[in-house]
Amino acid sequence: MVIVKRKTLTLAERLYLPEILRGMSITFAKMFKPKVTRQYPEEPLPTNEVTRGQPRLRQLIDGNLACVSCGLCEAACPAYAITIDGQETDRFIEREPEKFEIDMLRCILCGFCEEACPKDAIFMSTELELAGFTRASLKYDIDKLKRTMPELAPRMDYIKRINERW
Amino acid sequence: MTKIIVNGREVEADPQKPLIAACHNHGEHVPHYCYHPGLSAVGSCRICQVEVKQGEMPARVVAACRTPVAEGMVVNTDSEGAHGSRRECLEFLLKNHPLDCPICDKAGECSLQDYSFQEAQAEGRSSEPRRKLEKRKDLGDVILLDQERCILCSRCVRFMEEVPKSPQLCIGGRGSHSVVETWQDTPLSGNYQGNLADVCPVGALTLKDFRFQARVWNLTRVPSTCSECSRGCSISVEVLRNGEVKRMRPRPNEDVNSYWMCDHGRFSEDELNRSDRMEPAALRDDAGQLTAADPVDALRVVRNLLSVQSQALFLASPYLTVEEGEALSKLARSCGTQAAFFSPEPNDLRDDVLHTGDPCPNQRGLQEAGLTPMGSEEWAAASSSADCVLLLGERLLDMLGDEALEALPPTQRLVVMECRASDHAAVDVAMGIPNRVERSGTWVNVDGTAGAIRAARSAPQGVRALVELLADLTTTSGQPEEALSS
Amino acid sequence: MNDFLIILIKTCVIYGGLIGAAALMTLAERKFSAWMQLRYGPNRVGPWGLLQPLADGVKFIFKEELCPDGANPWIFRLAPILSAVPAMLTVAVIPFAGDVTLFGVDCGNLSITDLDIGTLFLVAIGGLSVYGVILGGWASNSKYSLLGGLRASAQMISYELSLIMIILCIVAMTGSLDLRAITESQNTGNPLSWNVFSQPLAFVIFVIATFAETNRHPFDFAECEPELVAGFHTEYSSMKFALFFLGEYCAMIVMACLTTTLFLGGYSVPFWEDAPWFIELGSFCAKAGFFAFLFIWVRWTLPRFRFDQLMHLGWKVFLPLALANLLVTGAVISLA
Repeated sequence: MVIVKRKTLTLAERLYLPEILRGMSITFAKMFKPKVTRQYPEEPLPTNEVTRGQPRLRQLIDGNLACVSCGLCEAACPAYAITIDGQETDRFIEREPEKFEIDMLRCILCGFCEEACPKDAIFMSTELELAGFTRASLKYDIDKLKRTMPELAPRMDYIKRINERW
Repeated sequence: MTKIIVNGREVEADPQKPLIAACHNHGEHVPHYCYHPGLSAVGSCRICQVEVKQGEMPARVVAACRTPVAEGMVVNTDSEGAHGSRRECLEFLLKNHPLDCPICDKAGECSLQDYSFQEAQAEGRSSEPRRKLEKRKDLGDVILLDQERCILCSRCVRFMEEVPKSPQLCIGGRGSHSVVETWQDTPLSGNYQGNLADVCPVGALTLKDFRFQARVWNLTRVPSTCSECSRGCSISVEVLRNGEVKRMRPRPNEDVNSYWMCDHGRFSEDELNRSDRMEPAALRDDAGQLTAADPVDALRVVRNLLSVQSQALFLASPYLTVEEGEALSKLARSCGTQAAFFSPEPNDLRDDVLHTGDPCPNQRGLQEAGLTPMGSEEWAAASSSADCVLLLGERLLDMLGDEALEALPPTQRLVVMECRASDHAAVDVAMGIPNRVERSGTWVNVDGTAGAIRAARSAPQGVRALVELLADLTTTSGQPEEALSS
Repeated sequence: MNDFLIILIKTCVIYGGLIGAAALMTLAERKFSAWMQLRYGPNRVGPWGLLQPLADGVKFIFKEELCPDGANPWIFRLAPILSAVPAMLTVAVIPFAGDVTLFGVDCGNLSITDLDIGTLFLVAIGGLSVYGVILGGWASNSKYSLLGGLRASAQMISYELSLIMIILCIVAMTGSLDLRAITESQNTGNPLSWNVFSQPLAFVIFVIATFAETNRHPFDFAECEPELVAGFHTEYSSMKFALFFLGEYCAMIVMACLTTTLFLGGYSVPFWEDAPWFIELGSFCAKAGFFAFLFIWVRWTLPRFRFDQLMHLGWKVFLPLALANLLVTGAVISLA
């Protein structure tokens, strides 16, 4: 059995009032402190290469996608957000995506696609904002997904760096 | 039968077959590339090595595909020595095999991929460059060869020699210059080229038809039966997420097709993916146009026709299943007549391997179900004398041809239950039915072996199975109108 | 005719001011709470979020009206009215400033009516507001609402006793039930004549009791989110909920005005006995505004009491103290 010894309260403590006044002085003082709220649309969220935003496809210098439509991201995607149809191409890689669709409403930004990709073709960008008037408009196709190398460079370097650890 | 011990378990093995077959038969998987149960064994790839101890001799590692079964053999498929030799063997194979799995169509069903993963053999010690060979070598209309991916197992060469007995492929060159090739690049010919892509353990021989069409892990495989001749080869129908039939591959069946199927059957999926499907029901309106109608109304019209017209002719498609044949002959009997099925002329594809030349996959089944075969001449005679003709089943309109419908007397009523849409002027009632990858049933092949067909996707919206339609017509014949609508 | 017009104008001005003040108070509540938590508070609608109450009002109007299945529809509709109307009626007797002369017209005292029994009226009408709460709680046909209503009524009745005892002290000291007379008795130009200095204990008890009377933190057992969802107004939506809301804030403003009148000399200006009316009005608003701020300040500082602690405080502490205070006041008055 545990016996808890309670402190005997002094009269001032039993009156509550001094302590209440002390508490009120604290809240009053806080009113004039600087605010910590981020005013979101005006002050955007800070992003860096670790930010895992929406997945984007890497474009090569010649404008083609690095993707060979192998379907590994499609298979890795836990939310079934990715749909790929391949087609033959005359380029060295033989196969390229005919259709590459990510349903951004299903995407959970987990980054499995980036991890699964054997061709470094898909990366998590720093783009986080997603809004549209129809569901169909949030199904992104190749035109909406492709990004040039400089845009994805920080993330590519970061992924390369963390993969070097293994 | 010979008794051997596989992984500590005493099993019975067929002495006529190599050790690897005995292992496989008893559930112990031994990796293999050059060995194929339907072909002769040459022992060229050396991946199937297992540890065998016989009598007093020390255990040794042997190639299971070239080792005959002997009484008292003690086999260990999982020993350290066996795994070690397999790993070394894989290192050699991967020396020249390109790492283009993301592009390769075989990825997902590639033995090389599977065994590398299984044996954890991913990296080689060689720093020499890989062989540079032709990546897209055309081998005729069906097959494309990627010489870099080839591991020279010679399965394809043996297949062409042993199954269609038309040796067209060989391994040319020597040493590291060996490649699979045809004589002076002659295109491959014959009705069995598609099997080359199946026997190839890697992605060297691929079907042009299936090239980059789908990733294999996205395909749903449904066991079924081939429809293109009365052999009724066991196949698996592989459909993509949207229900499109992407390819059909043979399914091993010792009784019918062993491991093979012909190209005629393999490439028949275009007809299954047609988009011009018939409406669930359509009736000819007052303006003379076929317009979509409620299936209940269409069935009522058909029933009225059957009760009013004295001379009805029931002609079924040869693709009807036994179940549908039974339902049809029951309906025909209730109308006081006998149903027939269209028996097309044999085609010239008949050979000694699989193809029978008879395009009807269920010739025997339908006859047993009580339907009589009817050729083109008999059809012409019977149709001109009937008041009402019912054409039931898929591809029947194509087989009869438009001329046959035009030859019908204008007073005659024509009911068509088909898969393909038709707006032929002679048709009075049209109802859509599921095709052979959308319904289940049984076909009986030329030898009397039953083969199941199974639905690989759902039928189009609103389309009901032919058995259901026939059963509705049979049970509601002579009943009051209300019974139909309920 | 002229008198009637003047009263009409005064009524419009005072009620307009009251409702405006209640609206402003909802904004102030959110703003001050935000600042105390290092946030900005509403700042999107209008400059500094000043139009936020307007936006809230529009939102309330367009919300769906719900009446729970099994609720008594008439009482359910009556309850918000019963809650808001008494709180707004009581403001009629509060004198906001002395005599007003506008454009040469003597408009009289800046209060809607100069009732002789103003204090009595205030206590009587204010006591009615408990009906709104308990009827709303009962008519909703909901466990949470019923419990909230019960608690609120028990609490309001308990604290009303102490409240009345304190008011009685002031009335006894002044010798009048008229709130204007009570104010004038403190309006001597010397702030030391304010009742807060002669009755400090009564002042403390009164202020605390007003918190309980208006169901405000730390005594908001009628709502008590963690236990009762939202208490008596759980089932209310749209304008019916807005009426409860309005009633609560009006009651707070009235209590702030009453505290000012009874203890801080009402509209009296320190060291300026005959100040013009608008200075007096400013003085009144400043004092009442402080008490209104106190309501908010305490709410965002203190945690909620336990219900038994509330009852203990009401019956065993405040009531004896208030009675003793009344006794001592009476004795002092009769001796002097």
